[in-house]
Amino acid sequence: MNDFAFLLSLTLKSSMAVLLAAQGEVLSERAGVINLGQEGMMLMGAFIGYLVGYLTGNAALAFAAAGLVGSLLALLHGFFAIRLGANQLLSGIALSILGAGLANFMGRGFIGKPGLRVGEWPIPVLSDLPMVGKAVFGQNALVYVAVLVTVAMWFALSRTRWGLTVRACGENPTAADAMGAPVIRTRFTAVALGGFLSGMAGAYLSLVFTPGWKEGISAGQGWIAVAIVIFSGWRPLGALAGSLFFGFLSALQFFSQATGNNVVPLYILRILPYVLTILTLSFAAALGRRGRAPAGLGKPFFREH
Amino acid sequence: MSLNLELVNITKRFGPTLANDHVSITAHGGEIHALLGENGAGKSTLMSILSGRYQPDVGEIRLSGEPVRFTSPAHALARGVGMVHQRFMLVDAFTVAENVCLAAGGSPLLDLKAEAARIRELSDRFGLDADPDRPVHTLSMGERQRVEILKLLRLGARVLIFDEPTSVLTPTEIERFCQVLKTLRQEGRAIVFITHKLEEALELSDRISILRRGRLVAHTTPAEAGGKRNLARMMVGREVIFAIDKPAVEPGPEVLRLEGLTGGGDPARPAFSGVDLALRRGEVLAVVGVAGNGQTELAEALAGLAPLTAGSVSFEGARHEAKAWAAAPKDALAYVPEDRHHEGSVPELSMTHNYLLTRLSAFTRGLLLDWTGGAEATRKAIERFAIKAEGPHQPSGELSGGNLQKLLLARELSRLPSVLVVQQPTQGLDIGASEDVWKSLLEAREHAGVLLVTGDLTEALTLADRVAVIFAGRILGVADVSDPDQVARISPMMAGVRQ
Repeated sequence: MNDFAFLLSLTLKSSMAVLLAAQGEVLSERAGVINLGQEGMMLMGAFIGYLVGYLTGNAALAFAAAGLVGSLLALLHGFFAIRLGANQLLSGIALSILGAGLANFMGRGFIGKPGLRVGEWPIPVLSDLPMVGKAVFGQNALVYVAVLVTVAMWFALSRTRWGLTVRACGENPTAADAMGAPVIRTRFTAVALGGFLSGMAGAYLSLVFTPGWKEGISAGQGWIAVAIVIFSGWRPLGALAGSLFFGFLSALQFFSQATGNNVVPLYILRILPYVLTILTLSFAAALGRRGRAPAGLGKPFFREH
Repeated sequence: MSLNLELVNITKRFGPTLANDHVSITAHGGEIHALLGENGAGKSTLMSILSGRYQPDVGEIRLSGEPVRFTSPAHALARGVGMVHQRFMLVDAFTVAENVCLAAGGSPLLDLKAEAARIRELSDRFGLDADPDRPVHTLSMGERQRVEILKLLRLGARVLIFDEPTSVLTPTEIERFCQVLKTLRQEGRAIVFITHKLEEALELSDRISILRRGRLVAHTTPAEAGGKRNLARMMVGREVIFAIDKPAVEPGPEVLRLEGLTGGGDPARPAFSGVDLALRRGEVLAVVGVAGNGQTELAEALAGLAPLTAGSVSFEGARHEAKAWAAAPKDALAYVPEDRHHEGSVPELSMTHNYLLTRLSAFTRGLLLDWTGGAEATRKAIERFAIKAEGPHQPSGELSGGNLQKLLLARELSRLPSVLVVQQPTQGLDIGASEDVWKSLLEAREHAGVLLVTGDLTEALTLADRVAVIFAGRILGVADVSDPDQVARISPMMAGVRQ
């Protein structure tokens, strides 16, 4: 494989966890709920995915379980943020801490134990294409799933009535309510589905990317996903681009390690995603002011009487 | 059976306030019905009942003869009764078509092209001139209103209710809106619009119902109304209902003088202009007018909350130019705003907190607030003003409107101001609370001149020594309350007639 195909393959592999989590966050935020619990949902998803894979050896079951635990955690956030109208930022951060703590606590006995490892799933014919065939179509199944999720998210938000309702709940819940849209239910659904994707994102790490369980396996990717959502202007396809960019930066690290080619010092490459995340989040308010953030983002909705 | 919507004997109570008291009106298809009344007269409550937002305590709604119960606005709309709120219910980031689609429901997949075609068709038929592909945030207020109408029509509304439809429109847009209403009438829809503008009711409507203090006081037509003057009289009520003891107070020196005062609103179109008024200690000067004629802005500007562009204010022996007034020291000027729940107080904070809000300097010891003293002062105020409350610790948001108003008055009077500006002090209050408030205002004359801004003529005549009438931002005249001839000129002036 030439360098380009190798780098492309690494980029795709490294982007998928953040891509799934970012799509989940896009959905949640388009419905008006900020969920900063990404890191916690991913870690719990990673652990539960690993555990179910370890116990059953069934990858589909492992991913489903990881998604469900992500949904449950997201619903906890939803209870505080949507039902009780609590501060969404605080509730999300609490969820991050809870998920991380819980995963570390439960996973203590499993560190270093080899679990299920989901291998590659080349698509016939396409993967035999010259140059990029193997890099793009010789990936594991989750890469295809994540790309399909992205397209589905774009389609659902922009082309379906449900997506219109989700966006209305995120932009102006009062108006949405006046037009008969079930604001509370829609927000809960979006948050739960978003959590499902985050849980799957975590399982991708522990079953595909770096199989096995270790503490802090997500290494801040949940936060990077949040930054990508803001940077992408709350758009599914934008989030795909952002995730690929993040994946590319990660891939460069592996690439320079593997080839010994140190044009940019490795430590710079390592910190780059985090620096960009911090910068994005610092300017989040300014980016939001450019009118791209959903107008009702972070605002609880109650019917006034 | 032909289209009509009847409200029969509707009564609605909020706590101690009777918002609607056995009100019956009927809207007919092919007619425009104006619901006229001052702020707080109960118009909005009535229309909220009609559109399904509130349930009446007593009474019933009949749609073409059949009794109906609307449990929500969506339910009312499903039966063909829709409301255009003063604050438009549109998603700004969406296009017109997306907004209509959101309200209209339909297949799971969006078909915005088909929706756009339907919108164009309705838009042409009713002369609404709406472009389905434009995002709402790029539309003017008038255009947004037409989108709201379009939305209702798309959902099959046959009865359309408008809450103060012209309040956010420019004069050209208003003309446009009138055209739309006439088209709707021609198409057989029933239209009800809430307004406090007399001209509109007379020019546009086929029937006029007048609400005052929650009761239907008159039911008429533009032809029978006897002109603007008579309509104004019916709307604000002229008769003095309550005789309250008004001890004579010797007028003292002049405490406030306004000369050529202009301001409020945007600089190109000031809300009031060329206002000349003088106020002496010991007197009550009422500024009356139909809502929206600049009196609110005038009071706010005096409190330093709205901009002044020209003229001067003389206060406490110093003459301040218009632009310098906002920053001038106003310790001796007390202000009680119209919105006592949100502007005059912080509902979540305790009564003590609220009491201290405008009295911080008096209750500060070094860097610390004197909470004990503050609570004590609040307790005394509760006693002296007979405020019904659990105690100084109770959140002020839990107080009834009358008790809250008394707390605000107690607070402002404790500052011993030389000028007291009050806006609509008894709006929404019951009779008992109103009388208490009136007594406090009369007592304030001991040390202050009182500027009373009110839309309630009864209140003005009960309390004031002189009544200034404001119309379209100008003071049309000042009447001496002791002279019946001058008092008789107040109503016409409120309708803009100068004699």
